[in-house]
Amino acid sequence: MDISVLVLVITFVVLLLVNVPIAIAIAAATLVTMLLTVDALPAVTTIAQRMSAGMDSFALLAIPFFILSGYLMGQGGIAKRLIEFARVIVGRLPGGLAFVNVIACALFGSISGSAVAATSAIGGFMIPAMEKEGYDREFSTAVTVTASTTGLLIPPSNILIIFSLASGGVSIAALFIAGYLPGLLVAGSLMIVCGIYAKKRGYPVGEKIPLSEALSKMLGAIPSLFLIFLVIGGIIGGYFTPTEAGAIAVLYSLLLSMCLYREIKPRDLPDILQKSVTTTSIVMLLIGASAAMSWLLSYENIPQMISASILGLTNEKILILLLVNLILLAVGTFMDMTPAVLIFTPILMPIMDSLGISPLHFGIIMILNLSIGLCTPPVGSVLFVGCSIGKTRITSVIKPLMPLYFAMFGALALVTAFPSISEALPRALGLY
Amino acid sequence: MSTTLRTIGQVDRAIQILLCLLMVFLVIDVSWQVVTRFILPEPSSYTEEIARFLLIWIGLLGAAHAYRSRMHLGIDIISEKLQGRSKTTATLFVYLVCAVFAIAVLIIGGLNLVLLTLELKQASASLGVRMGLVYLCLPLSGLLIVLYTLEMVINHYSNKNHPRGR
Repeated sequence: MDISVLVLVITFVVLLLVNVPIAIAIAAATLVTMLLTVDALPAVTTIAQRMSAGMDSFALLAIPFFILSGYLMGQGGIAKRLIEFARVIVGRLPGGLAFVNVIACALFGSISGSAVAATSAIGGFMIPAMEKEGYDREFSTAVTVTASTTGLLIPPSNILIIFSLASGGVSIAALFIAGYLPGLLVAGSLMIVCGIYAKKRGYPVGEKIPLSEALSKMLGAIPSLFLIFLVIGGIIGGYFTPTEAGAIAVLYSLLLSMCLYREIKPRDLPDILQKSVTTTSIVMLLIGASAAMSWLLSYENIPQMISASILGLTNEKILILLLVNLILLAVGTFMDMTPAVLIFTPILMPIMDSLGISPLHFGIIMILNLSIGLCTPPVGSVLFVGCSIGKTRITSVIKPLMPLYFAMFGALALVTAFPSISEALPRALGLY
Repeated sequence: MSTTLRTIGQVDRAIQILLCLLMVFLVIDVSWQVVTRFILPEPSSYTEEIARFLLIWIGLLGAAHAYRSRMHLGIDIISEKLQGRSKTTATLFVYLVCAVFAIAVLIIGGLNLVLLTLELKQASASLGVRMGLVYLCLPLSGLLIVLYTLEMVINHYSNKNHPRGR
């Protein structure tokens, strides 16, 4: 048993380091480990079967839809209107544009499901805009990168759907609602840091917007903001499943950007479809491969082994939560979010159960930890996308990122210590 | 050699078009499910199955296409620093791992899964589609990945004396 864990970890790490695609490294490490105990043909057949079974789920279908609607919103003028809306509200505060950036990311997160989509949609507008007003490019990129992870907590969220799957069916609606307060908490902490930073650096206050223009911008954003009610209201009210809500979001953003805003033309569609398909399949291959590895781990009784050894160390709830946080932070630094959720949820869940920590609380802790990992090298997809959009280097973004990491850690500590931040809203709505 | 490369390029173009069509079909299918939910007393059960199968096909065929466009996530901090011979070795090793994965898991494992489920006459719950046909995308995707790896290796050697792009 110990040998197989060792083989699994070593093969995986070696393959990762030579730059084998992560999904293929996961599947290949699983295969090598299985070959220790199983014949070749049954081994490859089992992995093929586990991969396709892992991808075969109606809940997962929400992911391509939220990816597609994310691209439509970014290109179709919806992101732009959310930014204008945020500018009217917080643009006049000191460091206003940094606040606008954070709020726009949170708003975008509340209609789309992925942090990468938020980074490219909001960052594409905000980083140049902030630079024009005298903010340095590195700070603007750092703000976009960290703020866009709030969308992973604020519903709809692809990763919460994946967590629901990995945890054996925790209600997606309850998870979605559980994410609101923690997501806003992260946004708030980031804004505090932005405010301090802006004051210290003497960043300008945004231009004054005449009342009539402010009103017209607020009005212009209403159709975009209506998506929140449509998607989340529809899911909470039980009118449609998250997957169906995703399809509705696609149709609605298509309608909005083609007919009302007129920023997407029919000839733009093949390109948008192409991008969504590619992004979707990257996530899907990761899901399939992780499902195979996760199956192998449970076949080898690894989750029980790990939970026994952790619970053998201590029974102190706070200490174990601290340990779990540290493990997840380390995992998030070296692993992409999707495989991390699929592989580590089944491992850590039994520990949480035995401590009486609710799956909602645990899910939010996990996503928040891994969100920090998305903003750190060496594996941080949001950081990479942010740097390529902000046209800066990862090494130069690290410095302005430091205080923002600090804000995220603060939010993480609060969310870990107070379960009600995650549980109060779903409980109030009778979802949990 | 150049005809081989051109053919592979055309195959990828065809896959790209197929993927877009599948995605459009997926959106229409699930939207139709919502419509039937509100209009008909009972939501259609077959739309859900179609959607799930479409997603597996999009996921696996798309993964092959993403492999060709080098879009899959990886860690390049070390491989970026390598130069000359060790860089070539590392690159070829990555191609080898990907090809072995594609051949062993997707082609052999996938094909075996297809044959097993066809033999057992396993069919889907509401459409009655043979599950073997759904799983056919596994060996298909494996075949594409092998093909694209071949293309990368050919490109690697034909560009050897020129500064490499990308």
